[in-house]
This record gives sequence, structure tokens and C-alpha cells, in this order.
Amino acid sequence: METANNKRKVAIICSHGGLDEVYPALILGNAARQSGIDAFVFFTFWGLDAITTSKVDHLHVNLAGNAASGMPTILGGLPGMETLAASMMKKQMTELDLPTVKEMLQILDESGAELYACELAMKMFKRTREDLLPQVKDVITAGDFYDLAEGAQIIFT
Amino acid sequence: MDTTDTNKALAQVLARLDAIDARLDQIVDRQKKSDELFSEMTPILRDVMGTATTRLDELDKKGYFAFGREALGVADRVITGFAPEDVRQLGDAVVGILQTVRALTQPNVLEIASQASEVLEKSDQAEPLGLLGMVRATRDDDVQKGMAVMMDVMRHVGRAARAVRDEHRPSAADEKKAKLAGVLGPRKKKALGVERQLPPTVAPRAAAPANLGPPAACAVPSSKPREVAAVIDGVAFGADGHLVDPKVWTEEIAVKVAAVQGVELDESRWAVVRFARADFVATNVSPNIRRITQGTSLATKDIYTLFPKAPARTIARIAGIPKPAGCI
Repeated sequence: METANNKRKVAIICSHGGLDEVYPALILGNAARQSGIDAFVFFTFWGLDAITTSKVDHLHVNLAGNAASGMPTILGGLPGMETLAASMMKKQMTELDLPTVKEMLQILDESGAELYACELAMKMFKRTREDLLPQVKDVITAGDFYDLAEGAQIIFT
Repeated sequence: MDTTDTNKALAQVLARLDAIDARLDQIVDRQKKSDELFSEMTPILRDVMGTATTRLDELDKKGYFAFGREALGVADRVITGFAPEDVRQLGDAVVGILQTVRALTQPNVLEIASQASEVLEKSDQAEPLGLLGMVRATRDDDVQKGMAVMMDVMRHVGRAARAVRDEHRPSAADEKKAKLAGVLGPRKKKALGVERQLPPTVAPRAAAPANLGPPAACAVPSSKPREVAAVIDGVAFGADGHLVDPKVWTEEIAVKVAAVQGVELDESRWAVVRFARADFVATNVSPNIRRITQGTSLATKDIYTLFPKAPARTIARIAGIPKPAGCI
């Protein structure tokens, strides 16, 4: 019930850049907002790809070491396999009328969820504020994250 | 008048009669001939007509006429679909087209194509091939050769694509400018000045169930039997705060529920509620936020402005429909 959710808050950490790893973070964030829970998403390490303008439309599905993919790891490592898997997954998502990652980020932003990028990861990957999508609210440090996440439940994906 | 004159006149008359007789003979003769001709021709003509009819019938059966009609349609489309400018360009390209056609119709090329098409003809008998099969197949010399050919074709296509792109390269002046910019370095962007671009707020439109398709497959209607948790003013509500029976909904109930939800129903909110109601009646699925934005041309942001807390659920409660299912 919303009355109970009024004080709830979730902090979601997105640290991987695979299509299958970014969506859960975004869907959880969106579902939180839809349930009247405050939410923010912190993108770090490879998760930065999801909020980088040049990468957001080209996220892949992790196949190597993914036992559930049904494909032997040695084949998952073949060049092009991940692109193939990603395009298959995207096709299925279109059939389900799931928004793309970019649309999801926009929906999140519009619904009042806040998106943050990790400062250290930005330096590591040599990215600047201009490389990120306009929906990203700020570039923050781990300490800032804890300040923001005060009283929040933290979800690591 | 004397007898010599009379004789002369008679002789003239006789001569005339002779002439007439001769003409009559001629006419009769011609008539006879044409009669003969007709009697001879009739069977032949009958034959010819018969054959022609059967031939035309055969042609029709074989679909020549249908083909012709279609061909005319195609020609019509071609003519209406292309501007004279296109045709002029086609004219310029004709040499290239002819060269391509000539290259494609070389005997050895045709031989390869026909071999390949034979395989395609039998494609219904081909065994399905998995990834491992593909890897195994690459050991085959012929497959390797074929792959080499394909690679070469791809290389040429790529090269040609690059050549075409280079043709559309920017002019020398633009290149100079770019060079200059390279020397001077990039223009400094205003520090931290990246303006956030939010979609403009759309004024709420009258909610008519737009031409939306069926709801997303992930939004399944809940089939759980619903228990009555509370009866307020004779109206049964479930534990989740939604009407147990959507059919009993009235606008008065909507106003009361909205008041409990802390929402004042103004015209723009009514529009959203009516859309949700209409969409549920049409599809038997409560719309989620995404569907509401698609159906009312409101942005997600506007929905959250109108119904700040848990919009889809609040809307569903006011509209007297079940809680929306699905993750989006």
C-alpha cells in the first residue's frame, strides 16, 4: 500500500553493462516509482555503458560463463555471438512491448527516479559528462552515494 | 422516216442488247465464282475460327491475358511511381546495367547460378544445421571455397560502398574548415552547461481510446478470485483498495475514491481516468502507465504530475478497475 511505501526508498546499483544486467536495474527502479517508492539508480563500472550516449543502443547479452544461456561458453565467446544473442533478446522484448534501455531511462527520469554516474568509473573509462545521456542527474562518488541512500534499501545488480 | 433509218436504229438497239447480254453473262459468272468461293471457304473459315477460339481459350487458361492485365498494371505503377528525372537517371545508368547483365549472363556465372538454384529447389529436404554443424561444415573444401568467394564478394561490396560514400564527401571548403578546427582544437563547451532536455509538457487531451493494439503480452489480467475486504457505502472493495466488481463503478464512486487517494478530479485527471476505464472495458486488462501515455498522448512526467504517488494504481482505483499487472 502506498501509505506504507510513502517513506520507502530504494538505491539501485547497476554495475554491469549487459542487456540482461541493465534491464533488471531499470525495471526495478521503474516498478518502485510506480508503487510510489522513491528510487535512484547508481551506474558504475560497466553499468556506465547504459547511460553513455554512444553505447546505450549497443548493449550486448553476456554469454560467456552464463550457464542459463544454454550455449557452451566456448561458443559464446565466438565473435558476433553476443550481438546475435542481443538482437534476439531485443526482438523478443519488442514483441512484449518492452521499452528500449534508452526509453526506460527516459521513463525513469520522467517518473522522478534519479540517475547518477560513478565518478571513479568515469575517470577509469575516460568519459566526460558530455558522453552521458541528458537524463543523468549528476556524477557522484561512493560517499555521495551513501549520503543519498540514507534510509534506503540498497539493491545491487 | 425511211426503212434504212429504221434498220440502222434497230441494229443499234440489237448491238446494245448484245452488250447488255455480255455484261449479264459476266455478272452471272462472277456471282457463280463468288458462290463457289464461299462454299469452298466456309469450311475452311469455320475451321480457322474454331482453332482460333480454342487457341485463345488455351492462352486464357494458361494465363496469358491475366499476365497481360497484370503487366499493364505493373507498367502503370512503374510510370506513376517514377518521375521523369528518375527515368533520365536510369538512362545514364543503362550502360552500367547492361555491363552488369552481361557479366551476370556469362556462361560460367550462369552455370554456378543454376547449380545453386538446384540446391535451393531441394531446400525442403535439407537437414537443419546447428552451430556445431556449421563449424563442421567449414572443414569441407567446397564450403571453404564458397566462403572465400562470399568473402571476396563482400570485400568488393564494401569497397564499392566506400567509393559511393567518398563521392558524397564534403567539399574542399568544408575539409579546410575541419582542418582548421583540428589545429585550433575543439570549441570549449560551457562548463557544466549541459541543458537538460525534457520533453515538453503536453496539455492533456480528451481521452479517446486511441488506436492502440492489444495490451502488452506481459500485462496479464489477474484471474485470482477477489475477496471482499471492506464494504463502504454499499460498494465492495478488495484488500488492495480496488473495486471487487468493476461493473458497479459510477462517477460518484470515482470522486469518493479520489478524495481518499488525495487526488482532486479535475478535467485533465478525468480524461486519464476515462481512458483507463474505456481501455479496461475494451481489453479486460487494466492499462499500465506506458499504455496510458500511449493512449492519451500525455508524457510519463505528466502522469506523475497528475497522480504523484503510484499513478497506475491510483488511476485504476479511481476508475474502479483491477490493479494493473506487469512490470512496466
